[in-house]
Amino acid sequence: MKTIIITILMLCMSLFAAPKVGDDAVSFSLPSLYNDSDMVTNKSSQGKIVLLNLWASWCAGCKEEMPLFVKLQKEYSKTEFEIVLSSIDNVPQSARDFLTKVDSERTLTSLYDPSKILPKTYRCSGMPSSFLIDRRGKIIAIYIGSMDDEAIISLKSKIQTLLGQ
Amino acid sequence: MIKAILLIVALLMLGCAEKLVRVMPYEKEYFAQDKMSLSPLSERAEQEGHIFLIREASAGGESSFQGGCGCR
Repeated sequence: MKTIIITILMLCMSLFAAPKVGDDAVSFSLPSLYNDSDMVTNKSSQGKIVLLNLWASWCAGCKEEMPLFVKLQKEYSKTEFEIVLSSIDNVPQSARDFLTKVDSERTLTSLYDPSKILPKTYRCSGMPSSFLIDRRGKIIAIYIGSMDDEAIISLKSKIQTLLGQ
Repeated sequence: MIKAILLIVALLMLGCAEKLVRVMPYEKEYFAQDKMSLSPLSERAEQEGHIFLIREASAGGESSFQGGCGCR
């Protein structure tokens, strides 16, 4: 009887567990930040290495790292490595206004998550949060908080390793 | 019987759990607005921050130039 109760409790607890390194990335279908009718799914990035970044224009740390992401994306072909931004702003125009300043060429793939589905599913403990996902759709690394130059160097070495696989 | 009552009480108390009232990082949009800051004037906020750091004897001067020594 005890074993059954413990098993049920464990199963219940696993329902509340956040995705971790090694787990499958969360599936999603979200509209583009620039065009509501353009739906983007995680399948669109299948076969690529993806850095999924959950951000908002009201988050100072998110804005700090954005120029680094633009620079990083320009170093890689989008067919191999893609940075996918998911904005959780209540007003999408705020996100668009900021990105227009930082990423006028629209280098980064920008999505809009009005219901905050991704941070809820990933159980984000901080903003911004970034998830490095490999070609098979597995989470390779989780970055909580703003990334600086050092973190980008470490990220680049991980990307290189994944590209070599 | 007591066990069942305890279990029911525990379940009811879950309603008061911290998890239900905690504001998650991605829900802090309204807190991030300027009007929510204690000092809406950025210059004043910097001064106040510096005074706070001196008072708390903490290291580092946050956004101000000087450290926590209070000598400037």
